[in-house]
Amino acid sequence: MKLEIGNFYVKDVAFGNETKFENNVLVINKEEALNYIREDEHITEADLIIAKPGENVRIVPVKEAVEPRIRPDGRPVFPGVTGDVEKTGEGRVHALKGVSVLGVGKHWGSFGDGLIDMSGEGAKYTLFSQTINICLVADTDEEYERYEQQKKNHAIRWGSHRLAEYIGRTVRNLEPEEVEKYELEPVTKRSENMQNLSSVVLVMQPQSQMEELGYNDLVYGWDMNKYVPTFMHPNEVLDGAIISGSFMPASSKWSTYDFQNFPIIKELYKEHGKSINFLGVIMSNLNVSLEQKKRSSIFVAQIAKSLGADGAIVTEEGYGNPDTDYIMCIAALEDIGVKTVGISNECTGRDGASQPLVTLDVKANALVSTGNVSEIIKLPPAEKVIGELQALARDGLSGGWAYDEILGPSVKEDGSIIMENNAMFCGDRIAGWSTKTVKEF
Amino acid sequence: MKKAIHYINQFFAGIGGEEKADYKPEIREGLVGPAMALNSVIDAEITHTVICGDNFMGSNKDEAVDRILNFLKDKEFDIFIAGPAFQAGRYGVACGTICKAVKEKFNVPVITSMNEENPGVEMFKKDIYIFKGGKSAAKLRKDIKSMADFANKILNGEELSSADEEGYFPRGIRHQVWLESGKTAAERGIEMLVKKLNNEPFETELVIPEPDRVPIAKPIKDLSKANIALVTSGGIVPIDNPDKIQSASATRWGRYDISKLDNLESGVFKTIHAGYDPAAADEDPDRVVPVDVMKVFEKEGKIGKLHKYFYSTVGTGTTQAEAARMGKEMLKYLQDDKVDGVILTST
Repeated sequence: MKLEIGNFYVKDVAFGNETKFENNVLVINKEEALNYIREDEHITEADLIIAKPGENVRIVPVKEAVEPRIRPDGRPVFPGVTGDVEKTGEGRVHALKGVSVLGVGKHWGSFGDGLIDMSGEGAKYTLFSQTINICLVADTDEEYERYEQQKKNHAIRWGSHRLAEYIGRTVRNLEPEEVEKYELEPVTKRSENMQNLSSVVLVMQPQSQMEELGYNDLVYGWDMNKYVPTFMHPNEVLDGAIISGSFMPASSKWSTYDFQNFPIIKELYKEHGKSINFLGVIMSNLNVSLEQKKRSSIFVAQIAKSLGADGAIVTEEGYGNPDTDYIMCIAALEDIGVKTVGISNECTGRDGASQPLVTLDVKANALVSTGNVSEIIKLPPAEKVIGELQALARDGLSGGWAYDEILGPSVKEDGSIIMENNAMFCGDRIAGWSTKTVKEF
Repeated sequence: MKKAIHYINQFFAGIGGEEKADYKPEIREGLVGPAMALNSVIDAEITHTVICGDNFMGSNKDEAVDRILNFLKDKEFDIFIAGPAFQAGRYGVACGTICKAVKEKFNVPVITSMNEENPGVEMFKKDIYIFKGGKSAAKLRKDIKSMADFANKILNGEELSSADEEGYFPRGIRHQVWLESGKTAAERGIEMLVKKLNNEPFETELVIPEPDRVPIAKPIKDLSKANIALVTSGGIVPIDNPDKIQSASATRWGRYDISKLDNLESGVFKTIHAGYDPAAADEDPDRVVPVDVMKVFEKEGKIGKLHKYFYSTVGTGTTQAEAARMGKEMLKYLQDDKVDGVILTST
């Protein structure tokens, strides 16, 4: 299966009369783009605002990040989401690099939403301080969840996927600057040299813990709560088969942008044929009850064993309760002799003294830590806020609060903020970007 | 210039060895013994040296600590340094005890140094900076230098690195840091996996400690013949707390005769545990140590006998090592009376 990602590097983004990509500048006809977004009647208010790295801008509540893309052959970028269910992972997709579409609440935030600072101290916390962000700032008629802490955010999330595709159209028929090629031979048809290398699988645990449908990550449009692990091609992940959900606290989230660019997959590809034989992805999920967790770990271990994996990387989109799925899965793989490395964040509390993962098992003897969920962060006011700053304090974002006896509210009168890392949008970069670790003091 | 105060024992003060270990706390202006070496490498003036005999600190802890805190209350100091204590157990415990007390009372940074074999490490490493020191005084200069280098960072407001990088015993506190190498989690993960696959040494970023599990005991076959004891970490003690059990991070325990009681009366017993609201326990201490019900069971013949004493300590903040030691000490008495089963209550 061979996937080609044609890259178009975006140096600047501006509004203009025609939506086009020219001389590495993306121009967007704002009205046309908004009309396209408003085709979804649930979007009641919408605006597009551009935020660039280095600007004194704070964006909150951010619900989703998507890399603008298009398929020259007309298949939808996100099958089962922006169009019919079609296969992914092979053929050609075009991508606008260095930019991201952000789905931002005009007023209302929810548990899994996050914050992005485009400059200053706050910028070091998230990847999306380094991309030019095309912010879809919208409100919706989703009254049933307006005052709920948990929101599906369906209209805004779908709006951002559709906007990413709309922008992608600018490069449908252009020649990319660079083409990345991702190809794996079928597992049993690989050369002897390849077969002699250690065989490795990547086990992914996307967030799927909401029993009510509509909040979880989707695979080909299918809610991953109603799912058991299966074997997938890494190209499918890089190519829009999975979209992010609306539940996981922001710093632990894998946005759709993360799936499209998953650094762990790219790194495994880099080592494929050199130090390892990358078999593919065992796509698992995250569950609520012990029985469900165990079922998934049994599926994962069986698939790994049947494929003949010598090693595995397990990574979870989450912290807290999902740690039980994460550790159980690592232990299940170690139990059948698969040497396993885990990649996740920790939650050691504001004072750093709490148990880092909810469950521990000495079999998990090779772990990479990407950050501490509960680190307290204080940031000065920003000149401009995209969205609504009060959402951080008012709406139950995982790392914000309306009131605290000692710390006061998350949002101060002068616009400065105090929050937990938990609400930094994709702040722990568990997909593999993170240059953070956790050390003992 | 910033100011520092140094704590040493009677031996390093040149007063004497074991025969002088009961030496009472004293504060002297200026430098005594190792304080001289410390003064030459620390970015502060050591204004005073506190001296205390190790045995005096060991057997009269509260008095020793009170006296020393009293010495310090009118002194200006930016940092407090004790030892190094090497492998000397009582000296190490003394350094830990006084550092912890000074930190709590004056909220200044405190630093000490001990060898990993020193029992003071296990007792105090979570509370204070304890640098990894040599086994004996031959390493005095080196150990003083390690403490001073770190003290200087604190005194000069420099950024502090992790425990391993600085050289002190990890305190069980984990915080996120950005790696100078800029290596991503993806790169680190795959590098770690390749090493693991090749049976090469690798370093996990999160060490999962070996669980110290105690197997579940076999059921008692005939409860009506069994001798049952009550043990609590809920801090129930006679109202005057005769054993001076600490309200948190306990190192002491007591046992109290209940052979002539039908229950634990409010006002006669109370809790000294600082980790929970004491109101309900003080109103009726049986809620934590159910002597009343056990006495009824004894009369009814449901159990053979209630052991003559109940045993009590405080669980909050108490280290696993201390808890295990106290448990073993209690066990001796329980075994002497041939206790068959224990009901362990918490809070």
